[in-house]
Amino acid sequence: MDTEDNGRRSFLKKAIFFLSGLIGAGLAVPSGIYFLSPIWKKTEEDWIELGPVGEIPKREPIKVDFVQRKKDGWVTVEGRSSAWVITADGQNFTVFDPHCTHLGCPYRWDASKKQFLCPCHNAAFGIDGEVLAGPPPRALDRFASKVVGGKLLIRPLSEKKEG
Amino acid sequence: MKKIVDWFDERIQTREIKETLFDRKIPKGVGWIYALGSASLFLLILQAVTGILLAMSYSAAPDHAYASVQYITEQIPMGAIIRGLHKWGASFMVIVVTLHMIRVYFMGAYKFPRELTWVLGVLIWLVVIGFGFTGYLLPWDQKGYWATMVGANLAGQAPFIGEAASKVLRGGEALGAITLTRFYAIHVLVLPASLLTLVGLHLFLVVRQGISAPPERDKGERS
Repeated sequence: MDTEDNGRRSFLKKAIFFLSGLIGAGLAVPSGIYFLSPIWKKTEEDWIELGPVGEIPKREPIKVDFVQRKKDGWVTVEGRSSAWVITADGQNFTVFDPHCTHLGCPYRWDASKKQFLCPCHNAAFGIDGEVLAGPPPRALDRFASKVVGGKLLIRPLSEKKEG
Repeated sequence: MKKIVDWFDERIQTREIKETLFDRKIPKGVGWIYALGSASLFLLILQAVTGILLAMSYSAAPDHAYASVQYITEQIPMGAIIRGLHKWGASFMVIVVTLHMIRVYFMGAYKFPRELTWVLGVLIWLVVIGFGFTGYLLPWDQKGYWATMVGANLAGQAPFIGEAASKVLRGGEALGAITLTRFYAIHVLVLPASLLTLVGLHLFLVVRQGISAPPERDKGERS
Protein backbone atom coordinates (compact mmCIF):
# COMPACT_ATOMS: atom_id res chain seq x y z
CA MET A 1 0.00 0.00 0.00
CA ASP A 2 2.83 2.37 0.89
CA THR A 3 4.26 2.57 -2.62
CA GLU A 4 5.75 5.99 -1.99
CA ASP A 5 7.26 4.84 1.30
CA ASN A 6 10.31 7.01 0.89
CA GLY A 7 12.56 8.60 3.51
CA ARG A 8 10.24 11.49 4.20
CA ARG A 9 7.22 9.35 4.98
CA SER A 10 9.01 6.97 7.31
CA PHE A 11 10.78 9.86 9.02
CA LEU A 12 7.48 11.60 9.74
CA LYS A 13 6.01 8.33 10.98
CA LYS A 14 8.91 7.86 13.37
CA ALA A 15 8.70 11.48 14.49
CA ILE A 16 5.01 11.07 15.28
CA PHE A 17 5.64 7.90 17.29
CA PHE A 18 8.57 9.49 19.11
CA LEU A 19 6.71 12.68 20.04
CA SER A 20 3.56 10.78 21.05
CA GLY A 21 5.71 8.50 23.20
CA LEU A 22 7.38 11.50 24.79
CA ILE A 23 4.06 13.21 25.58
CA GLY A 24 2.60 9.91 26.79
CA ALA A 25 5.53 9.29 29.10
CA GLY A 26 5.40 12.87 30.34
CA LEU A 27 1.83 12.23 31.39
CA ALA A 28 2.21 8.62 32.54
CA VAL A 29 5.19 9.17 34.85
CA PRO A 30 3.66 11.87 37.08
CA SER A 31 0.31 10.03 37.02
CA GLY A 32 2.00 6.79 38.03
CA ILE A 33 3.89 8.43 40.87
CA TYR A 34 0.71 10.17 42.05
CA PHE A 35 -1.29 6.93 41.99
CA LEU A 36 1.40 4.79 43.58
CA SER A 37 2.50 7.38 46.15
CA PRO A 38 0.92 5.49 49.11
CA ILE A 39 3.73 2.95 48.68
CA TRP A 40 6.40 5.49 49.63
CA LYS A 41 4.40 7.29 52.28
CA LYS A 42 6.19 7.17 55.61
CA THR A 43 4.23 6.12 58.62
CA GLU A 44 4.45 8.97 61.04
CA GLU A 45 6.19 8.28 64.29
CA ASP A 46 3.93 9.82 66.84
CA TRP A 47 5.17 9.38 70.35
CA ILE A 48 2.45 9.99 72.88
CA GLU A 49 3.16 11.18 76.39
CA LEU A 50 1.49 9.03 79.03
CA GLY A 51 2.71 10.96 82.10
CA PRO A 52 5.47 11.09 84.73
CA VAL A 53 7.25 7.81 85.34
CA GLY A 54 6.84 8.17 89.11
CA GLU A 55 3.06 7.90 88.92
CA ILE A 56 3.15 4.36 87.57
CA PRO A 57 2.94 1.71 90.30
CA LYS A 58 5.57 -1.02 90.40
CA ARG A 59 4.79 -4.71 89.79
CA GLU A 60 1.10 -3.93 89.20
CA PRO A 61 -0.31 -3.37 85.68
CA ILE A 62 -2.17 -0.11 85.27
CA LYS A 63 -4.45 0.94 82.46
CA VAL A 64 -3.54 4.38 81.15
CA ASP A 65 -5.96 6.31 78.93
CA PHE A 66 -4.65 8.73 76.37
CA VAL A 67 -5.80 10.81 73.41
CA GLN A 68 -4.23 9.96 70.12
CA ARG A 69 -4.17 12.52 67.32
CA LYS A 70 -3.86 10.79 64.00
CA LYS A 71 -3.43 12.43 60.64
CA ASP A 72 -5.72 10.82 58.09
CA GLY A 73 -5.02 12.57 54.81
CA TRP A 74 -6.31 16.12 55.26
CA VAL A 75 -8.20 15.21 58.43
CA THR A 76 -6.80 15.02 61.94
CA VAL A 77 -8.69 12.48 63.98
CA GLU A 78 -8.65 12.48 67.77
CA GLY A 79 -9.10 9.04 69.12
CA ARG A 80 -9.36 7.89 72.72
CA SER A 81 -7.31 4.87 73.41
CA SER A 82 -5.54 3.16 76.27
CA ALA A 83 -2.64 0.92 77.09
CA TRP A 84 -1.61 -1.40 79.90
CA VAL A 85 1.68 -0.36 81.51
CA ILE A 86 3.80 -2.64 83.67
CA THR A 87 7.09 -1.87 85.34
CA ALA A 88 9.19 -3.87 87.74
CA ASP A 89 11.67 -1.18 88.70
CA GLY A 90 10.21 2.14 87.56
CA GLN A 91 12.79 2.37 84.78
CA ASN A 92 12.01 -0.38 82.31
CA PHE A 93 8.47 -0.42 81.04
CA THR A 94 6.38 -2.90 79.14
CA VAL A 95 3.35 -1.50 77.38
CA PHE A 96 0.62 -3.78 76.04
CA ASP A 97 -1.92 -3.10 73.36
CA PRO A 98 -5.23 -3.22 75.28
CA HIS A 99 -6.81 -5.67 72.86
CA CYS A 100 -6.74 -9.44 73.16
CA THR A 101 -4.73 -11.02 70.35
CA HIS A 102 -7.56 -13.45 69.68
CA LEU A 103 -10.34 -11.25 68.31
CA GLY A 104 -9.54 -7.83 69.68
CA CYS A 105 -11.71 -7.67 72.81
CA PRO A 106 -10.48 -5.40 75.60
CA TYR A 107 -9.17 -7.41 78.53
CA ARG A 108 -8.81 -6.55 82.25
CA TRP A 109 -6.33 -7.24 84.98
CA ASP A 110 -7.43 -9.62 87.69
CA ALA A 111 -5.41 -8.58 90.74
CA SER A 112 -6.18 -11.72 92.76
CA LYS A 113 -5.29 -14.20 90.00
CA LYS A 114 -2.41 -12.00 88.75
CA GLN A 115 -3.62 -12.53 85.18
CA PHE A 116 -5.03 -10.53 82.27
CA LEU A 117 -8.44 -11.99 81.55
CA CYS A 118 -10.41 -11.55 78.38
CA PRO A 119 -14.18 -11.92 78.87
CA CYS A 120 -14.99 -12.83 75.28
CA HIS A 121 -13.52 -16.33 75.09
CA ASN A 122 -11.97 -16.84 78.52
CA ALA A 123 -8.43 -16.11 77.48
CA ALA A 124 -5.80 -15.54 80.13
CA PHE A 125 -2.39 -13.89 79.81
CA GLY A 126 0.42 -13.71 82.33
CA ILE A 127 1.93 -10.44 83.57
CA ASP A 128 4.61 -10.93 80.90
CA GLY A 129 1.91 -11.11 78.22
CA GLU A 130 2.32 -14.82 77.45
CA VAL A 131 -0.80 -16.87 76.76
CA LEU A 132 -1.82 -18.98 79.76
CA ALA A 133 -5.23 -20.21 78.64
CA GLY A 134 -7.78 -19.84 75.89
CA PRO A 135 -7.67 -19.40 72.12
CA PRO A 136 -5.26 -16.45 71.52
CA PRO A 137 -2.72 -17.26 68.79
CA ARG A 138 0.11 -15.23 70.37
CA ALA A 139 1.17 -13.24 73.40
CA LEU A 140 -0.18 -9.73 73.98
CA ASP A 141 0.95 -7.14 71.45
CA ARG A 142 3.31 -4.49 72.74
CA PHE A 143 3.65 -0.79 72.06
CA ALA A 144 7.12 0.70 71.74
CA SER A 145 7.97 2.83 74.77
CA LYS A 146 10.73 5.09 76.01
CA VAL A 147 11.41 7.42 78.90
CA VAL A 148 12.34 11.00 78.09
CA GLY A 149 12.87 13.57 80.84
CA GLY A 150 11.17 11.47 83.47
CA LYS A 151 8.08 10.98 81.30
CA LEU A 152 6.87 7.79 79.70
CA LEU A 153 6.26 7.97 75.95
CA ILE A 154 4.65 5.26 73.85
CA ARG A 155 4.05 4.71 70.16
CA PRO A 156 0.72 2.97 69.82
CA LEU A 157 1.37 0.82 66.76
CA SER A 158 1.23 -2.83 67.64
CA GLU A 159 4.50 -4.66 67.36
CA LYS A 160 3.20 -8.10 66.74
CA LYS A 161 4.98 -10.99 68.29
CA GLU A 162 4.51 -14.08 66.20
CA GLY A 163 4.00 -17.23 68.18
CA MET B 1 5.05 -8.53 17.80
CA LYS B 2 3.95 -9.25 14.26
CA LYS B 3 2.53 -12.58 15.44
CA ILE B 4 0.37 -10.85 18.03
CA VAL B 5 -0.90 -8.32 15.47
CA ASP B 6 -1.64 -11.20 13.05
CA TRP B 7 -3.51 -13.13 15.73
CA PHE B 8 -5.89 -10.23 16.29
CA ASP B 9 -6.06 -9.37 12.60
CA GLU B 10 -7.18 -12.89 11.64
CA ARG B 11 -10.01 -12.73 14.13
CA ILE B 12 -11.27 -9.16 14.14
CA GLN B 13 -9.49 -7.56 11.16
CA THR B 14 -7.61 -4.99 13.21
CA ARG B 15 -5.64 -3.78 10.16
CA GLU B 16 -8.89 -2.79 8.54
CA ILE B 17 -9.85 -0.82 11.67
CA LYS B 18 -6.46 0.86 11.71
CA GLU B 19 -6.73 1.77 8.04
CA THR B 20 -10.22 3.18 8.50
CA LEU B 21 -9.16 5.25 11.49
CA PHE B 22 -5.65 6.39 10.62
CA ASP B 23 -5.10 5.97 6.89
CA ARG B 24 -8.01 8.15 5.85
CA LYS B 25 -8.02 10.12 2.66
CA ILE B 26 -7.52 13.79 3.42
CA PRO B 27 -8.52 16.51 0.95
CA LYS B 28 -5.88 18.76 -0.58
CA GLY B 29 -5.04 22.03 1.12
CA VAL B 30 -5.56 20.80 4.67
CA GLY B 31 -3.27 22.51 7.19
CA TRP B 32 -2.54 22.88 10.87
CA ILE B 33 -5.88 24.40 11.79
CA TYR B 34 -7.40 21.04 10.92
CA ALA B 35 -5.59 19.61 13.95
CA LEU B 36 -7.75 21.55 16.42
CA GLY B 37 -10.21 18.66 16.67
CA SER B 38 -7.45 16.18 17.46
CA ALA B 39 -6.01 18.68 19.93
CA SER B 40 -9.41 18.80 21.65
CA LEU B 41 -9.44 15.00 21.82
CA PHE B 42 -5.97 15.00 23.36
CA LEU B 43 -7.07 17.57 25.96
CA LEU B 44 -10.14 15.45 26.71
CA ILE B 45 -7.90 12.46 27.48
CA LEU B 46 -5.60 14.67 29.57
CA GLN B 47 -8.55 16.03 31.55
CA ALA B 48 -9.98 12.54 32.07
CA VAL B 49 -6.70 11.08 33.35
CA THR B 50 -5.83 13.99 35.66
CA GLY B 51 -9.46 14.33 36.75
CA ILE B 52 -9.68 10.68 37.80
CA LEU B 53 -6.47 11.06 39.79
CA LEU B 54 -7.72 14.22 41.50
CA ALA B 55 -11.04 12.57 42.37
CA MET B 56 -9.11 9.92 44.31
CA SER B 57 -8.08 12.47 46.92
CA TYR B 58 -10.89 15.01 46.79
CA SER B 59 -13.72 15.37 49.24
CA ALA B 60 -16.83 17.21 48.06
CA ALA B 61 -17.86 18.58 51.45
CA PRO B 62 -17.56 22.22 52.56
CA ASP B 63 -15.55 21.17 55.63
CA HIS B 64 -13.05 19.15 53.63
CA ALA B 65 -13.01 20.33 50.01
CA TYR B 66 -10.46 23.12 50.46
CA ALA B 67 -8.24 21.07 52.79
CA SER B 68 -8.32 18.06 50.47
CA VAL B 69 -7.26 20.23 47.52
CA GLN B 70 -4.43 21.64 49.67
CA TYR B 71 -3.51 18.06 50.53
CA ILE B 72 -3.33 17.13 46.85
CA THR B 73 -1.20 20.17 46.06
CA GLU B 74 1.17 20.00 49.01
CA GLN B 75 1.33 16.43 50.28
CA ILE B 76 0.85 14.01 47.39
CA PRO B 77 3.95 13.51 45.22
CA MET B 78 3.30 15.07 41.79
CA GLY B 79 -0.03 16.36 43.15
CA ALA B 80 0.77 19.95 42.20
CA ILE B 81 1.59 18.84 38.65
CA ILE B 82 -1.56 16.76 38.25
CA ARG B 83 -3.73 19.55 39.61
CA GLY B 84 -1.90 22.11 37.49
CA LEU B 85 -2.40 20.04 34.34
CA HIS B 86 -6.12 19.71 35.07
CA LYS B 87 -6.51 23.42 35.79
CA TRP B 88 -4.61 24.63 32.71
CA GLY B 89 -6.00 21.81 30.61
CA ALA B 90 -9.48 23.08 31.44
CA SER B 91 -8.72 26.56 30.12
CA PHE B 92 -7.06 25.14 27.02
CA MET B 93 -10.04 22.84 26.46
CA VAL B 94 -12.45 25.77 26.29
CA ILE B 95 -10.09 27.73 24.04
CA VAL B 96 -9.21 24.88 21.66
CA VAL B 97 -12.77 23.57 21.34
CA THR B 98 -13.96 27.12 20.63
CA LEU B 99 -11.25 27.64 18.00
CA HIS B 100 -12.22 24.30 16.43
CA MET B 101 -15.80 25.50 16.25
CA ILE B 102 -14.78 28.86 14.73
CA ARG B 103 -12.68 27.05 12.09
CA VAL B 104 -15.57 24.81 11.14
CA TYR B 105 -17.90 27.79 10.98
CA PHE B 106 -15.71 30.02 8.81
CA MET B 107 -14.82 27.21 6.44
CA GLY B 108 -18.43 26.27 6.04
CA ALA B 109 -17.61 22.70 7.06
CA TYR B 110 -20.91 22.45 8.95
CA LYS B 111 -22.92 22.39 5.69
CA PHE B 112 -24.49 19.38 3.99
CA PRO B 113 -23.82 16.53 4.59
CA ARG B 114 -22.19 17.30 7.93
CA GLU B 115 -25.02 19.10 9.80
CA LEU B 116 -25.27 16.32 12.36
CA THR B 117 -21.58 16.53 13.19
CA TRP B 118 -22.04 20.28 13.70
CA VAL B 119 -25.06 19.87 15.98
CA LEU B 120 -23.20 17.30 18.07
CA GLY B 121 -20.22 19.65 18.14
CA VAL B 122 -22.33 22.50 19.50
CA LEU B 123 -23.64 20.19 22.23
CA ILE B 124 -20.06 19.14 23.03
CA TRP B 125 -19.11 22.81 23.31
CA LEU B 126 -21.94 23.35 25.81
CA VAL B 127 -20.83 20.32 27.83
CA VAL B 128 -17.26 21.71 27.92
CA ILE B 129 -18.57 25.04 29.24
CA GLY B 130 -20.56 23.06 31.83
CA PHE B 131 -17.36 21.30 32.88
CA GLY B 132 -15.66 24.64 33.34
CA PHE B 133 -18.53 26.11 35.35
CA THR B 134 -18.96 23.13 37.70
CA GLY B 135 -15.25 22.48 38.09
CA TYR B 136 -14.58 26.07 39.10
CA LEU B 137 -16.49 25.62 42.36
CA LEU B 138 -14.84 22.38 43.47
CA PRO B 139 -11.68 23.81 45.15
CA TRP B 140 -14.16 25.68 47.39
CA ASP B 141 -12.02 28.79 47.49
CA GLN B 142 -13.26 32.38 47.48
CA LYS B 143 -12.98 32.71 43.72
CA GLY B 144 -14.92 29.54 43.00
CA TYR B 145 -17.55 30.32 45.61
CA TRP B 146 -18.31 33.83 44.37
CA ALA B 147 -18.07 32.89 40.72
CA THR B 148 -20.74 30.26 41.32
CA MET B 149 -22.80 32.81 43.24
CA VAL B 150 -22.61 35.09 40.19
CA GLY B 151 -23.45 32.19 37.88
CA ALA B 152 -26.47 31.17 39.92
CA ASN B 153 -27.67 34.79 40.09
CA LEU B 154 -27.25 35.15 36.34
CA ALA B 155 -29.44 32.11 35.85
CA GLY B 156 -31.89 33.77 38.23
CA GLN B 157 -32.29 36.70 35.82
CA ALA B 158 -33.88 34.54 33.14
CA PRO B 159 -37.53 35.45 32.56
CA PHE B 160 -40.18 33.20 34.16
CA ILE B 161 -37.93 30.22 34.89
CA GLY B 162 -35.09 32.23 36.46
CA GLU B 163 -35.84 31.55 40.10
CA ALA B 164 -36.44 27.86 39.48
CA ALA B 165 -33.22 27.60 37.46
CA SER B 166 -31.07 29.17 40.15
CA LYS B 167 -32.67 26.93 42.78
CA VAL B 168 -31.96 23.84 40.70
CA LEU B 169 -28.36 24.95 40.23
CA ARG B 170 -27.80 25.58 43.92
CA GLY B 171 -29.86 22.63 45.08
CA GLY B 172 -31.75 25.00 47.36
CA GLU B 173 -32.05 28.61 48.48
CA ALA B 174 -28.44 29.14 49.44
CA LEU B 175 -25.09 28.15 48.05
CA GLY B 176 -23.66 25.47 50.31
CA ALA B 177 -22.97 21.81 50.93
CA ILE B 178 -25.72 20.64 48.57
CA THR B 179 -24.44 22.91 45.81
CA LEU B 180 -20.99 21.40 46.17
CA THR B 181 -22.12 17.76 46.00
CA ARG B 182 -24.43 18.65 43.10
CA PHE B 183 -21.66 20.32 41.14
CA TYR B 184 -19.30 17.46 41.91
CA ALA B 185 -21.77 14.81 40.72
CA ILE B 186 -22.46 16.81 37.56
CA HIS B 187 -18.75 17.37 36.98
CA VAL B 188 -17.60 13.76 37.44
CA LEU B 189 -20.69 11.73 36.44
CA VAL B 190 -23.26 13.58 34.33
CA LEU B 191 -20.94 15.57 32.09
CA PRO B 192 -18.32 12.85 31.44
CA ALA B 193 -21.06 10.41 30.44
CA SER B 194 -22.62 13.00 28.14
CA LEU B 195 -19.27 14.02 26.69
CA LEU B 196 -18.20 10.43 25.94
CA THR B 197 -21.46 9.72 24.15
CA LEU B 198 -21.41 12.95 22.14
CA VAL B 199 -17.73 12.71 21.22
CA GLY B 200 -18.16 9.05 20.24
CA LEU B 201 -20.95 9.96 17.81
CA HIS B 202 -19.10 13.07 16.61
CA LEU B 203 -15.96 11.06 15.80
CA PHE B 204 -17.96 8.27 14.18
CA LEU B 205 -19.43 10.80 11.78
CA VAL B 206 -16.04 12.38 11.12
CA VAL B 207 -14.53 9.00 10.22
CA ARG B 208 -17.60 7.87 8.28
CA GLN B 209 -17.95 11.03 6.17
CA GLY B 210 -14.34 12.14 5.97
CA ILE B 211 -13.38 15.72 6.58
CA SER B 212 -14.56 18.49 4.30
CA ALA B 213 -12.26 20.07 1.74
CA PRO B 214 -11.26 23.68 2.34
CA PRO B 215 -13.59 26.02 0.43
CA GLU B 216 -12.28 27.07 -2.94
CA ARG B 217 -11.41 30.66 -3.44
CA ASP B 218 -13.96 32.58 -5.42
CA LYS B 219 -12.29 33.48 -8.73
CA GLY B 220 -13.92 36.87 -8.72
CA GLU B 221 -16.64 36.03 -11.22
CA ARG B 222 -19.92 37.02 -9.68
CA SER B 223 -23.09 36.18 -11.43
